[in-house]
Amino acid sequence: MPGSRVEVERLTHAFDGNVVLRDVSFSIEPGELVALTGPSGSGKTTLLQLLGGLDRPTAGRIMVDGIPVHALRHATRYRREVVGFVFQLHHLLPALTAQENVQLPMVAAHVPRRERDLRAHELLDEVDLSGRARSLPSSLSGGERQRVAIARALAGQPRLILADEPTGSLDAAATERIWQLLAAVRERHGSTILVASHDASLLRHVDRSLAIRGGAVCEQPASNLAPPPPPATGPDHHDRAPAEL
Amino acid sequence: MTALLQSFESLERRPLRTFLTALGTALGIATIVALLAVAGGAQASATKFLSLGGSDLGLFQRDAADPTTSVLPLALVSELRRTRGVQAATPLVLLVGEIHRSPGAIAFGAYPDSFVTDRYVFLQGHMLTGDRQVAVGSGLAAQLHLHVGDTLSIAHRELSVSGIYHMGVPEQDDGAVIAFGLAQALAGKQGEATTIAVSLAPTVSRSQGVETIRRRFPGLLILGDGVSAPRAGVSGVLLSRLALVLAVIALVIGGVGVMNTMLMAVTERRTEFALLAAVGWSGPQIALRVMAEGVLTSLIGAALGLLLGVIGAQLLVGLLGAGEYVAPNVTAWDLGRALLVGVLLGVLGGMYPAWRAARLSPAKVLAER
Ligand SMILES: Nc1ncnc2c1ncn2[C@@H]1O[C@H](COP(=O)(O)OP(=O)(O)OP(=O)(O)O)[C@@H](O)[C@H]1O
Ligand SMILES: [Mg+2]
Repeated sequence: MPGSRVEVERLTHAFDGNVVLRDVSFSIEPGELVALTGPSGSGKTTLLQLLGGLDRPTAGRIMVDGIPVHALRHATRYRREVVGFVFQLHHLLPALTAQENVQLPMVAAHVPRRERDLRAHELLDEVDLSGRARSLPSSLSGGERQRVAIARALAGQPRLILADEPTGSLDAAATERIWQLLAAVRERHGSTILVASHDASLLRHVDRSLAIRGGAVCEQPASNLAPPPPPATGPDHHDRAPAEL
Repeated sequence: MTALLQSFESLERRPLRTFLTALGTALGIATIVALLAVAGGAQASATKFLSLGGSDLGLFQRDAADPTTSVLPLALVSELRRTRGVQAATPLVLLVGEIHRSPGAIAFGAYPDSFVTDRYVFLQGHMLTGDRQVAVGSGLAAQLHLHVGDTLSIAHRELSVSGIYHMGVPEQDDGAVIAFGLAQALAGKQGEATTIAVSLAPTVSRSQGVETIRRRFPGLLILGDGVSAPRAGVSGVLLSRLALVLAVIALVIGGVGVMNTMLMAVTERRTEFALLAAVGWSGPQIALRVMAEGVLTSLIGAALGLLLGVIGAQLLVGLLGAGEYVAPNVTAWDLGRALLVGVLLGVLGGMYPAWRAARLSPAKVLAER
């Protein structure tokens, strides 16, 4: 399944008169893996939520594969069939097992039980967690939880994956693993992926990078992409705090 | 189905709250069941005395809570016989709920040669001749497959069936007649009767006769005159109206309880519902999930309520001191209604919380930390 083409035109969003995004325009080609950077409070989450049809913009247009997302009254179908969302906090339901959490989008789509079980198994396999299918989120590590959340985002076979700081609370090794996983998903499924992150290590995996600053979105200069790999100062270099952008 | 299973799981996670909510519903439904049962029983018992048959009158104690609890002194019988316009008067003791194989049937304690029993047409055998015999109505005989010579237990006395009669009045055909003295002994009414049946002389008009008796014995309730008849049912009717009012109140309380709990659950689990919306659940799908929990809770409550209601009905009858005459009858229809009410409560109580859950903005809720 090819990835989505995303076209954002003159997008503006304000909360109670407080403008977060001002007249923003950009586009993402099908199958691109793009980073979204910007300081805390700059509007990364806001932009991803607008793209994912979780909120409607104050003004402007968002076209995803020709779907006018900005104008959808009920984005239910769009959320279910086009988008896979990975949240800043994993938002797994605590009472459900990993497998059941992964199945949630499929329940909404009325996928029959047997097929759900099968697909959930495949998806957990894809994020390397097939052994933890029956575990509750509380017994999983932070990295494992995010991988379950990624598996859940993949459940609807989305053409567009939106990931909001999926590595927020993970160490460098777990973070790297998530990036590799997202890159692999892009390779395998051809999905378009937009990842918001503070973590510089993401930049080694993406095609390009967008930055939000002062309500504007601009292309990050290519020179800032792919910083040199962290110096190997010894066997314990994984313990360093991840570099901030 | 999945929604129901999952809602069962989420109820299981909060057993105490679920139980308390269910208990609220249960008390509401128990009230309904108990009151309906008692009211139904009282009404059924009361209406049975309306038909002593023919053009006769039944005299009862006026200030009795219910005609079934009426107590009249036997001395009245001879006074009545001396009253103008009265052709015959005979005392009756009524035993309700004492024929164990047919709790709804009435046992009439009567003198075997009174004008009431003289009208019986015997299909088999003959009128009873002593304390050890019973004459059985055709309806009751058919129901219990009784024949002459069989035994029938009334108030734990084994009586031999002397005959099977037909009268044409359902209450009497579905009952049995025993010796007056025996009935008195069984009811503990020495020198007393429940009612006195009066036959008016053909020379006086019905209203004249009623008027004479009324003036002479102002303390008596006269049934069978077409005017006072509805009064016999009055306590039963009142009780069922009261039951309705209380039931509505109880239901509102139960519904508010369900709503309160579900609102709490929705507030606590707003991330859950917002997440479901974010991964593509539609508003109705989310609402259904909340409703399913509400319905399940109140169904648990309804089941509990049925149980409490049946027990409560017995207690209530005992409390009212009407146990001798009012046999609470809980019918399958009552039980079905209570379950229906349970579902309805869950749906009504769950509606607003469900609407709230379905309307949560995923953007706002999921960005909270
Ligand atoms: N529901 C809301 N109501 C009012 N203001 C909001 C709301 N959501 C976000 N904001 C404001 O919009 C701005 C952008 O927030 P947003 O969460 O998009 O930033 P972010 O780039 O994701 O930050 P972080 O890196 O900390 O996650 C912030 O100033 C925030 O206070
Ligand atoms: Mg954010």
